[in-house]
Amino acid sequence: MSHRLCAVIVSRGLDELLRFCLKNFFESASGLSDQVQVIVADNASARPYTASSFPDSRVRLLRFDTQTGFAAACNRAVQECDAEQLLFLNNDVLLDRSTLVRMMEHCDAPGIGVIGSWLYFPDGRVQHRGVVFGSDDIGPYHLDRGGYLEPRCAFQEFQAVTGACLMVERELFSRIGGFDESYSFGLEDIDFCLRVRQSGRRVICVNAGRPLHFESLTPGRVELDVSSRQLFLQRWRGKYSIDG
Amino acid sequence: MLYYFVPDTRIFGGIKVGYQFVDALNALGVPAVIASPGGLAASWFRSSAAVVDAETARRSFRPEDVAIFSLPHDYPSLRQLPGQLIFHCQGTDPLIDPILADPEVGVLTCWRQATEYALAHGVREPINVGISIPSCFAYTGEPKIERAVAYMPRRGAELCAEAMRRCDRMRYIAIDGMREAEVARIMKSCSIFLATSEHEWFGLPALEAMAAGCLVVSVPVLGGMEYLDDGVNCRVARPQDFPPALDELVHERSTGLRFRMRQAAIATAHRYTTERMRHHLSELLDGPLSSWRRA
Repeated sequence: MSHRLCAVIVSRGLDELLRFCLKNFFESASGLSDQVQVIVADNASARPYTASSFPDSRVRLLRFDTQTGFAAACNRAVQECDAEQLLFLNNDVLLDRSTLVRMMEHCDAPGIGVIGSWLYFPDGRVQHRGVVFGSDDIGPYHLDRGGYLEPRCAFQEFQAVTGACLMVERELFSRIGGFDESYSFGLEDIDFCLRVRQSGRRVICVNAGRPLHFESLTPGRVELDVSSRQLFLQRWRGKYSIDG
Repeated sequence: MLYYFVPDTRIFGGIKVGYQFVDALNALGVPAVIASPGGLAASWFRSSAAVVDAETARRSFRPEDVAIFSLPHDYPSLRQLPGQLIFHCQGTDPLIDPILADPEVGVLTCWRQATEYALAHGVREPINVGISIPSCFAYTGEPKIERAVAYMPRRGAELCAEAMRRCDRMRYIAIDGMREAEVARIMKSCSIFLATSEHEWFGLPALEAMAAGCLVVSVPVLGGMEYLDDGVNCRVARPQDFPPALDELVHERSTGLRFRMRQAAIATAHRYTTERMRHHLSELLDGPLSSWRRA
């Protein structure tokens, strides 16, 4: 069966959090008229996920026995699904009931390539509402991160959005070459968005309810960010516009 | 896809206008990118335009693509590309005459004088797409230093020096090689801006200074006379009259006049907001530029 939307969730351990993530995803997907599927990429969890852990028939498990980079795991997972639209979702993102409907509203709009979403910390502060780029060594950063802010419009255009909750047409994802697997963890999403924009497609961030993002709960994540950042700046320094 | 070819990333108004145009097209849903040597992006002003390598863009250019350029020296090589070629006319130098004479090249202009120049050179339907002032220049009541005068020494340095000698009670602040945000900050804090660049086509800095609430004292320019209204929103003086004009303007008895002209300048600059330019461009995309929506 062909699905309209497939969520790709790369996850390691944190079983209970993943269960909540899936629960919220399916609740949000209930507002859609189309079929959805989920591919959970078990990124070398010490205690492998089992089908019985996630009894919903729409969930498929893909197991990596050795820890794999986020980009490579996502690219591999995409090969396993047949949906038109992909949603890359972190296991620590809990979608709001309205999130998917609001994101999907923009899928067919001409020129839209990537759709991200406003995300909030559990205390209500903004975790993500779009990524902007500062000059010199500042590079990309989350606009208004940590502030108390309410959206003023349905969506806004950016150079990039976070991969924690990123929707993209499958055909575009493949055409652009997927995520760059040179990145260990972090900034592959920004690299991807910049390439999408180079192809002439737009990147937007939508106000899609109040989805939560706990952010970086997976152990060892922060250390990997450093090398990714170095790679990103090596590749992109001086090649993006300054809007931050 | 629409590629706007720029020669480099230098601090030069024409580069900024190109990015501004691509930003406007993107905001209106038209796929457009900057094509720059080495894929390098200008970083001295705010933009969110995507940048691609110009050489790669040339190689992958398709007949359905659009190439835009604004500097005459790009014309011969871009003329070889298979798609639509558009000249974004930002200046009216005789060097552009061969481009205007080419019936295969579409012509966009940024202001009235450029449109008139194109018409005089046989372009049938030049399209004035306008120009805009970035919102960072918009004066919102920041404190001004009444004795501070901003100027750009890159062009007309001698005239500036002469004005400074004649009117030495003022404090002069040079703007050179700075990022746009810093330029805007200085302009907002100054009360007067000296536009000393003779033979200037349009003079974007003078208009930015007006938006920032400066009283502009300018030499006569070409396209800029569209917004410079001597005695109403600025002072326009020939180079030989420039220093005395400044001297008279900063005099105590001219306080009321300075205030009125500044208010008029802010009102004039309001005609060049990003929103207005985009609204106008949106109308063009529903009309003569409608094919770009499908590019």
